[in-house]
Amino acid sequence: MNATPVADGDARRLGQTENFDSLVARNTRLAVGDTVTVRVRRFAPEAGAQLQEFKVPYQRAMRVLDALNWIAEQAATDLAYRWFCGSKMCGTCAVRMNGREVLACWEAVEPEMTIEPLRNLPVLRDLVVDRAPFERKVASFEPWIERVAPYAGFPEPLSHKEMKSASKALDCIGCMSCYSACPVIGLGELTRFAGPAPLVQLGQTALDPRNDPAKVARALAQTDIFSCVSCYKCEEVCPAAIPIVTRVIEPLKARAAVLVPAMARHSNVLRRIVAARGRIDPGALVLGVQGLAALRNLPRIWRMLLRGKINPLRTVLGLKTAAAAAARRLLR
Amino acid sequence: MRFAYYPGCSARSTCAELNEATHRVAARLGLDLTQLESATCTGARELRAIDPVGFFTLNLRILALAEREGLPLMTICNTCTLNLLDAHAAFLEDTDLATKVNAALADEGLRYSGRTRISHFLWVLYEDIGLARLRALVVRPLTGLTVAAFYGCHITRPPQRYGFVDSRNNVALERLAELFGCRSIDYSGRTECCGFHTAAADERIAIKLTGAHIKSAKANGAKTMLTPCPLCHTVLDGFQREIEEDMGERLDMPVLHLPQLVGLALGLSPEELRLDRHMVEWQERWE
Repeated sequence: MNATPVADGDARRLGQTENFDSLVARNTRLAVGDTVTVRVRRFAPEAGAQLQEFKVPYQRAMRVLDALNWIAEQAATDLAYRWFCGSKMCGTCAVRMNGREVLACWEAVEPEMTIEPLRNLPVLRDLVVDRAPFERKVASFEPWIERVAPYAGFPEPLSHKEMKSASKALDCIGCMSCYSACPVIGLGELTRFAGPAPLVQLGQTALDPRNDPAKVARALAQTDIFSCVSCYKCEEVCPAAIPIVTRVIEPLKARAAVLVPAMARHSNVLRRIVAARGRIDPGALVLGVQGLAALRNLPRIWRMLLRGKINPLRTVLGLKTAAAAAARRLLR
Repeated sequence: MRFAYYPGCSARSTCAELNEATHRVAARLGLDLTQLESATCTGARELRAIDPVGFFTLNLRILALAEREGLPLMTICNTCTLNLLDAHAAFLEDTDLATKVNAALADEGLRYSGRTRISHFLWVLYEDIGLARLRALVVRPLTGLTVAAFYGCHITRPPQRYGFVDSRNNVALERLAELFGCRSIDYSGRTECCGFHTAAADERIAIKLTGAHIKSAKANGAKTMLTPCPLCHTVLDGFQREIEEDMGERLDMPVLHLPQLVGLALGLSPEELRLDRHMVEWQERWE
């Protein structure tokens, strides 16, 4: 362990080396002739689920897909898994390796790995999931462009800046890694949140300035997009490195705030409070967002009062902070 | 060692104990903090979504306040940290934005030139104080206290920016806890989301997500959880009764703010660190 102060930024990377988390580090852990232990979660509707272990001989620069191919050819010819291009284009081979969503074709093997199907989609067989729930969501968004203004002729007067967010969304290969990693989607029916992958598909057309706002509004109204918790789990697993939260979900929220303002109540209340007081008063925020329904949880309000966690006087009187003047000027 | 200090909204309201503990611990650590009194909210997640220009302006103003003091900026909230890092990056990338913001800041004689270093308290411990000095300051090893570190999202992600790597690699909190004599555990919630950012509108997401994290921490033997973020703390500690009701089982898991754990090891009392302000009661739970 480092005894002296470490360099700027290093506290963020401390575990990277000890976890062998780089392509080079992973490949140096294995040499030709070594054995890779692969546990695959097998599932068949008639037989249920179980983990099956395979010993796969390591080959140079071996990918997860190479290991699956070896298993399918040498050990379990009935193994169901999907792949097509083998080069990070088609988006069909995403699986979970040791708990993390990866493209099988683009991930180096680890000496011991558990391979499972993606989460949050029905498993059809072994590593193959049913993409229909995703496809139904996307179809319901009317994911095409309908112009309001007549075609201006070629070249269209579109700037890079206007297309900045939509063009990021267009990098999506539809692999469903983000959909599998999303904790809110993981809660199932609790919300009507569309999830990252469908929202990226929506972003391709909804963030295009040529699209009909009325159609975009219809789609956004179905997304429950403000249920995104902003955890960036989707970005962490995206093989296309799309900044899903900052370049897709937040710009879509901004569109929703304009086109379907009722959806953005929480955001609007927060902005109003900051503009008036300089900082957030939690009581004012919850009251503003939930209305009188916020008072239904009296035991908690009482507990928070006892520990001085809320200050009703401050909330009711709308007391300003030393930051109020600046906030009012800058957010007017 | 001097820092401009930005506590954020939560540590000045719901989690005021965090602000108190930070000041006391900073004094022990030899950190001289200049609290930025006129600093506004950074806009949480809401302002950045619906009003990007307002969001960048508020954040860059905070960075300009620190720059005027000629000091690096220390934060104690994950979301504030990421907001400030994002605004700083946008300032450097987008000259139109930079010009616009500086024009707005000129009204009060402020100007940002992009020089403020932003560091969360957790990173300050490693990168400015260093573990050797920290070890030398320990007067009360917390031997036997089993800690579940809960990082929260915004000082571990988004990946590939600001030095963040795969968030599951994080060990900074565990290594600190071990330095203080604690035992750290692995569990499924370490780098997961508490759901705070939708909680003002719909608590159910936070309650369901965080319930699973606390349960996993408990099942793996944790006697306390530890977080560097007051927003996570609000859900982990403040919502724990509702979480217990939802799960139908008692969790009774105390949750420490990072400066409180440091403070305990440095010999400050639970009262000085305001552990009495937590919703889940703190007792001496080690051994």
